[in-house]
Amino acid sequence: MGIELNHITKRYGSFTALTDIGLSIPTGELVALLGPSGSGKTTLLRVIAGLEPADEGSVLVDGDNIAAKSPRERRVGFVFQHYALFRHMTVFENVAFGLRVRPRGQRPSKDEIRERVMRLLTLVQLENLARRYPSQLSGGQRQRVALARALAVEPSVLLLDEPFGALDARVRKELRRWLRRLHDEIQLTSVFVTHDQEEALEVADRIVVVNEGKIEQVGTPEEVYRDPASAFVYQFLGNVNLFHARIEDGRPVLGPSSGENNSGPEAEPPLAQVFVRSHSLDVHTHRQGNEMFGARVEHISPAGPFIKLELKATWGDYIEVAIPRERYQELGLSKNSDVFLAPKEMQVFADNYVI
Amino acid sequence: MTTEPKAVQWALILLAGAFLGLFLLVPLASVFAEALAKGAGSYFSALREPSAWAALRLTVLAALIAVPLNLVFGLCASWCIAHFDFRGRSLLLTLVDLPFSVSPVISGLVYVLLFGLHGLLGPWLAKLDIQVIFALPGIVLATVFVTFPFVARELIPLMEELGTEEEEAALLLGASGWQSFFRITLPNIKWGVLYGVILCNARAMGEFGAVSVVSGHIRGKTNTVPLHVEILYNEYNFVAAFAVASVLALLALATLAAKSLLEWQIGRQRRVDDTLRTEETVHGY
Repeated sequence: MGIELNHITKRYGSFTALTDIGLSIPTGELVALLGPSGSGKTTLLRVIAGLEPADEGSVLVDGDNIAAKSPRERRVGFVFQHYALFRHMTVFENVAFGLRVRPRGQRPSKDEIRERVMRLLTLVQLENLARRYPSQLSGGQRQRVALARALAVEPSVLLLDEPFGALDARVRKELRRWLRRLHDEIQLTSVFVTHDQEEALEVADRIVVVNEGKIEQVGTPEEVYRDPASAFVYQFLGNVNLFHARIEDGRPVLGPSSGENNSGPEAEPPLAQVFVRSHSLDVHTHRQGNEMFGARVEHISPAGPFIKLELKATWGDYIEVAIPRERYQELGLSKNSDVFLAPKEMQVFADNYVI
Repeated sequence: MTTEPKAVQWALILLAGAFLGLFLLVPLASVFAEALAKGAGSYFSALREPSAWAALRLTVLAALIAVPLNLVFGLCASWCIAHFDFRGRSLLLTLVDLPFSVSPVISGLVYVLLFGLHGLLGPWLAKLDIQVIFALPGIVLATVFVTFPFVARELIPLMEELGTEEEEAALLLGASGWQSFFRITLPNIKWGVLYGVILCNARAMGEFGAVSVVSGHIRGKTNTVPLHVEILYNEYNFVAAFAVASVLALLALATLAAKSLLEWQIGRQRRVDDTLRTEETVHGY
């Protein structure tokens, strides 16, 4: 059950924002829609909410097709990136709004509303700020008001559009840990949009990687990180170095072609993209074996448990390498040192497919 | 700060002050001076004179009809323009501005050509015994036309700036379109609405050209205050003319005061909104 999307297509004029999206989200999961800006992830979220009508396809929530329903009938909780709090209402009135606008027959009594709003404000740890106006709150507080407001109508799904996008790094971290705990507590099917891979990997039960209006991969954070289904996913998740390589005898050879075996452009061996994560490159001061290639140290950022090196390969590409502090001290590197690199792990794609 | 020498600054300020004084303050003061030239007694009796009183009533009545109509039109037009990207949107924007670019006399004349006895709809209206030109409906129509842009012009940028997110949020929380309008949109634009209404009202009561063409100048019947002032002046009845004119001057002053008060209010709200939109969280969450 949960949410089911079938063949969702959305066009804006000649631009296709979403192409034949099919996705099923089990009840109670916290799912991240991860992708670069312009990938269509927010459009997808708005289609689920009913804020944008899909040109084709159906949206099922708990088995119920809601494609024809207006947003107000869908019972989805929605948290906007910039909160969209009602600026002329207090925190209390913001949260109570969804209950107050119900038709008389379904509207809870005044005492009931008060009790429910206060319970929600306690849940988001804002019970002392009920009488404040949104302008008197910090970004993180506003975000939690928006969340309480969305939860007040007891939605069957919770949708969050870049929920932490507008917050500074420290608050963002705290708030997403808190969201994870809250989700574990209330077990509401939730979908959040993000362009931050770290956020998706840390918080979500399942990640949906979106690119150019299509789903690239669906999987747990571990699956998506360990087995990227496409070059795009590999590149989008984690710090990666991209090498252009030739396939020779079924093996990739990094760097530009040497030209020795080539008799002409017709004989060019097939090109491939090789991805190596920055911590999957071994650094040596001497060449040992054929797998290695030379590079020069251009910049060193020595802060943190891992030392980040910016290197320039012999053929001119920039490479990012992260090595443990002990290894760095062992090697005794400095700027302009010449080193040799050996990939420990790599993923080769030819035309976006795994080889 | 500027780098101009003090002397230049003062010269410029003096120049602007002298200009304002000569062209605005002196005429305004002279209106009241002339009106009170023969004492307060004749001032008030000029205002109590039946045809002056009738003109005042007609002006207020026309404004009472025209301003609410334009409030509704303005709300609808600005709502559509701010919320939807439809074919003909820019045409609508241009049409809203049309009354600003057309001479009021022409707009009055258009109504005469349309509704007058020899106009397009004239014979048909005459058969139904409806008189538009030289009567209240004509005056209201001309006033509505001339004052149409004030509310809409004020609200379009305001609504565009507000965006649609809060309304979307209200909708998703289960509010109906009306609930969202009255509980979310209207409270956010109320100062802008009031501002537009006040300017619209000032223009409606002060309009001369368009109304002059359609009114027919029937004393005590179809004369509005500005028209009545002209008649009195042409009859060399200066005290009465300036006494009635002083009512319009007072309206202008009241409008000015209300306008600056509202501008201050809107400025305050905008500052609050700006803090709401600033996305920094200095004090943590």
